Amino acid sequence: MPEGIYSAAAGMAAQQTRLDSLANDVANVNTTGYKQQRLGFRDLVYQAEQGIPIGAGSAPVDVGRSFAQGSLTETGDPLSVAIVGPGFFQVRRADGSVALTRDGTFALDANGALVTATGEKLVPPLTVPKGTDPASISISPSGTVSAGKTAVGRLSIVTVPAPGALAAAGDNLFAPTAASGAPVAVAGTTVQQGALETSNVDLAGAMTEMIDAQRGYELASRAIKTQDQLLDVANQLVR
Amino acid sequence: MERGLYIAASGMLAELVRQDQLANDLANASTPGYKADRASQASFGELLLENSASGQSIGPLGLGVHIAELKTDFSQGPIKQTGEPLDVALAGPGFLAVQTTQGTSYTRDGQLTVDVKGRLTLASGPLVLDTQGKPITVPTNGANVTIGPDGTIASAGKAIAKLGIVSLEGAAKAGDNLYTGKAGAAPAGTTVQQGALEGSDTNPARVMVDMIVSLRAYESSQRVIHSIDETLQRGIQSGGVGGA
Repeated sequence: MPEGIYSAAAGMAAQQTRLDSLANDVANVNTTGYKQQRLGFRDLVYQAEQGIPIGAGSAPVDVGRSFAQGSLTETGDPLSVAIVGPGFFQVRRADGSVALTRDGTFALDANGALVTATGEKLVPPLTVPKGTDPASISISPSGTVSAGKTAVGRLSIVTVPAPGALAAAGDNLFAPTAASGAPVAVAGTTVQQGALETSNVDLAGAMTEMIDAQRGYELASRAIKTQDQLLDVANQLVR
Repeated sequence: MERGLYIAASGMLAELVRQDQLANDLANASTPGYKADRASQASFGELLLENSASGQSIGPLGLGVHIAELKTDFSQGPIKQTGEPLDVALAGPGFLAVQTTQGTSYTRDGQLTVDVKGRLTLASGPLVLDTQGKPITVPTNGANVTIGPDGTIASAGKAIAKLGIVSLEGAAKAGDNLYTGKAGAAPAGTTVQQGALEGSDTNPARVMVDMIVSLRAYESSQRVIHSIDETLQRGIQSGGVGGA
């Protein structure tokens, strides 16, 4: 059987993965703190065919995320916090594990603890006295949180040695992995109260990529069609 | 048996190899830094025919074709802006030196990332090497890193290392966007562009045309086989056996 039909199929599968990833980016164009996926391609092994090295197609490679800064939008909500610069808020998930997020849509729970929109508490926890009016909470660029005139704690901003290897965990959360390393404090990053970081997906760029991926898919499918015709011609050898 | 049968069959086999190579080029139309191949055909050595009775020379007879070699087309691929601080595109000849588990390899795929130790790596794992052949460690997980046109990597205005860019002799594809070969001095006129990637140099229009031409050549060889087959059949039916 011709090998090319499989190389072309591998190429189609790779473009399909790229389309899926782009579709996810586009779907998250309005997700707070969303980071665009970086997808790469690699060529596959070369094997000798009649003494000539022929490649076996291509495969997608996960390069992690683009951690480019998203633009900030003013919300006017005192509990909205945007991170300016690299880093994440550290939160504890319901299962006890630590996760990272750049979505600073916070709220106060019944005990006055600062929680994310999906209910995860910050690590280390930050609590304001019960009955504090959210409007009286101020957060300085360095992350110091004050209720009225009293400082109650500091938002800690962390990062990992290899952000590209963070695992997306849904709900705008990233989970540290062995390949990404454990979270460490980051210096020089500031926060902005009353604002949120928008998704860093560049819609025009994603659309262009989608067209490119679709054409790439079509091209590979042409190769499959041609390989099929070759087989047909070979079949007609014997009448 | 009829020699023509085998000559025509050799043509079909050669076109199959060419088609597989073209399918691979198309499958890699989006692979960063991919370089397309060109299959070149050569004829097998010719045979001098002689009249078996008189010994008189009749003339040379070709014995068909085979794919002699695959030449990789190292022309510059299109440079595409990505805005990613760790994407680099090479403009001009030259390769980035990387360290794999099997030793040093070379690549034109500049889609870089950092590993858990802060070292620059390719997405598929190999460590990116500097001019001294050592891995490059960048501070603050690669954020705020600038890469100059000569490959100098700097953080906060301070140079850290310089990307090891080499020329490559006898470059052979090894998969995973890597090449093996004999590295030489940095080629003149190669610049590094940060925030961009070099696309595949596969030219879809050319590959499509090659695919059609090759398919037709394959069909022609098949027709030749049919004709010879018919000739043989006629020969058999008329009581003799054809053949040169």
